[in-house]
Amino acid sequence: MKLSTNKRNTIEHQGTCHRDTGFKPVHWCTGALVFLFFLSFLLGASSQSASKVSVRKLKNGHFQLLVNRKPYIIKGVCYNPIPIGKNHESDWWSDPNKPWIVDGKLMKEMGINTIRIYQPGDNPEEVKKVIRDLYELYGIRTILGNWLGFWEYPCPFYGDKDFQERVKNEVTRMVELYKDEPGVLLWILGNENNYSCLGRVNPWSNDEIDKEPDPQKKNSIRARIYYSFVNDIAGKIHEIDPNHPVALGNGELLGLESANQYCPDIDLVACIIYRGRTFGNLFNSLKATFDRPVVIAEFGADVYDAYLKKEDQNMQAFFLESQWRQIYSNIANAPQGAGNCLGGTIFEWSDEWWKHDENNPDSWKVHDTESNWSNGSYYFDIKAEGNKNMNEEWFGIVALSEELEDGLNKRIPRKAYYVIREFWKNPTIKKPKVKGKK
Amino acid sequence: MKKILAVMAVVFLAMPLCGWAQEEKVPPKEFVVYVDKNSRANHYIPSGWMGDYGDIKMNDQFMENPQDGITSIEFKYSGKKSQGQGWAGVYWQNPANNWGSKKGGFDLTGMTKLTFWARGAKGGEVIQKFVVGGIKGTYPDTAEVEMGPVELTDTWKQYTINLAGRDLSYINGGFCWVTTADLNPEGCTFYIDNIKLESDPTLKPEAKKQESMPFYVYADRSTVGNHFIPSGWMGDYGDIKYDGASKEDPYLGDSCVKIIYNSKATQGARWAGIYWQNPANNWGNVDAGFDLSKATKLSFWARGEKGGERIEEFKVGGIMGEYSDSDSASIGPVILNKEWTQYTIDLKGKDLSYIIGGFCWATNIDNNPEGATFYLDEIKYE
Repeated sequence: MKLSTNKRNTIEHQGTCHRDTGFKPVHWCTGALVFLFFLSFLLGASSQSASKVSVRKLKNGHFQLLVNRKPYIIKGVCYNPIPIGKNHESDWWSDPNKPWIVDGKLMKEMGINTIRIYQPGDNPEEVKKVIRDLYELYGIRTILGNWLGFWEYPCPFYGDKDFQERVKNEVTRMVELYKDEPGVLLWILGNENNYSCLGRVNPWSNDEIDKEPDPQKKNSIRARIYYSFVNDIAGKIHEIDPNHPVALGNGELLGLESANQYCPDIDLVACIIYRGRTFGNLFNSLKATFDRPVVIAEFGADVYDAYLKKEDQNMQAFFLESQWRQIYSNIANAPQGAGNCLGGTIFEWSDEWWKHDENNPDSWKVHDTESNWSNGSYYFDIKAEGNKNMNEEWFGIVALSEELEDGLNKRIPRKAYYVIREFWKNPTIKKPKVKGKK
Repeated sequence: MKKILAVMAVVFLAMPLCGWAQEEKVPPKEFVVYVDKNSRANHYIPSGWMGDYGDIKMNDQFMENPQDGITSIEFKYSGKKSQGQGWAGVYWQNPANNWGSKKGGFDLTGMTKLTFWARGAKGGEVIQKFVVGGIKGTYPDTAEVEMGPVELTDTWKQYTINLAGRDLSYINGGFCWVTTADLNPEGCTFYIDNIKLESDPTLKPEAKKQESMPFYVYADRSTVGNHFIPSGWMGDYGDIKYDGASKEDPYLGDSCVKIIYNSKATQGARWAGIYWQNPANNWGNVDAGFDLSKATKLSFWARGEKGGERIEEFKVGGIMGEYSDSDSASIGPVILNKEWTQYTIDLKGKDLSYIIGGFCWATNIDNNPEGATFYLDEIKYE
């Protein structure tokens, strides 16, 4: 599609030329104009047509993502370029300094071919501009998602038909707006919404659930309602957009036994996984519960050592490289792997300084080092006080500087950026020599 | 002439180096940890008393019936929980009392096994584990290898810990034993002698064997078949009382596990739970655990004191660390009956090749505002 962009520029140049040389013979001009009109129409039309993205099951049972019939491994990042001093409500889509142009260039140099957006901004023209710029300038495709109302106050009412209808309309509108953008890769529905079925996050209920005394059965009812709802949306998307697969955003593998029962229209699962150096038995386990392809839609490591209280770029690079090796070990036709992985989107491109204390604007200007949660899989700094070793503001593979460059916080790629860049150039899947079992 | 001198100088200077290098290539065939009281061959000192150290009495010149030489070491463990730990043990260290704070230890490269002799005063005494290495600190041991539990006989028996393939380049904790009050509620007396490392080039690194089924997490108190330790107390651990030898109507055998959760939120977490781990307190930082690949389910029996107690989760595996469990599976929430009821966690399709978190329960204050008392028995992989 970059070729069509160049040609379109050429046409515009010729048109200008025609106006400047009005004394040329009429018949040549007329013929050229007609030709250029049709060419322009054809190329213009092609620049607006969607890519054909599909999932193919191979004879050996492995899965491949195809983009315009060519195999495509998702080498992606989650993208949310919030500037220092702003929070998640910052409308970066309308930023006149266009952070995605600076980031897209760095991404392309690293080898990234996909970004994941959790939910598009409010202005469709701005969103289209970002998707087009990234695609036309750098060949980077965009995964678009929707939270499915997960963070609505007081809770997501998945058991309520009006709520369902409203969310469904919101997603349908997103698909209708962007389905013809050539840069769109696929849709992800939800993120970790399945945790609400277990009552762990944003618990919700309805009369049917309230009447059931057995807590395990309550969870089963929630899972049926939620996954049926997601499947309903997926079915609707397929009706209006035959060109892009629909993924179920799911925290870990929890609830996928139910999803297998209630989600026949889901094409793949987009899992959010934080298991440190390894994904463990995830890929094989998935085959037993939800035998569809998987993209690891969130994974990674923070770069702050909460024990030694200092940034440790080696630590982050170590985890990320190990994780990418596992992803490549499980893509289609990799020897011995499960063959069901389509790639991944690292969490995340750049640090987000607002996360530690999201209600305190003063803290958005500070790169907080206080840890938010504990995860033993990231064992380098697990001896931190209270075992809290995960630093939410430090997950970027690109650091942000308070120094401004062209109106944007200066981007400083971390070691992980370079390590993964080199890995993608020659993705060997043999295990690195590390101390450890797996 | 200058050339000859230079050659001679090189040869002369190289000679001791060659000799050293040659010496390095042939490691000694054995290296003594302890053989006899005051023996000059001893390299380590039984100075590292741990856990309920007040429960331990040691006589390192016990002269009655040594396995070899003149003396053996007698240990008397009372099981009285003097320090409230429920376990005790002794490390042989170099230098004495070195918990990794100073450089000591030895480079034991070339040794492939540790052998020792042990016997119980009556027979039937259970030692939870014998260990080589494993001391942490600023100067940590380069390996930690353990065997156990071991049920002693009343006659001397030699035991071997396979060290082949291990990095023994720095070992400060030459040997260690650990046991618990649960395994020895009446205490125990046992003897150890002739502890040494040996070089056996034919010995191969020990592959983790697939354990046969059934494989118990908990069968009865002081049973050698209990393979995991209820050491992983989580959340409001101050709210938990654990009795691994309850006589209150066990489902099978002479004892069961009794757990009292008082829901006082002592640590402010508002939830609590216990992991049964291997070895004790292993949160994925020690390469240990079992290969339970042959299991297709874990079953256990449970009952609530009143009935209606709600346990949020019963779980297998799921410990994440440098050495993570290979998989996890769970059931819950479960509302307990007053009568013994069997529960099952389905493990079909799970990768159980590496399990350090053998079993776990967790509950919370929201669903048990008045606390909960419940019982567990016959926790086993099948």
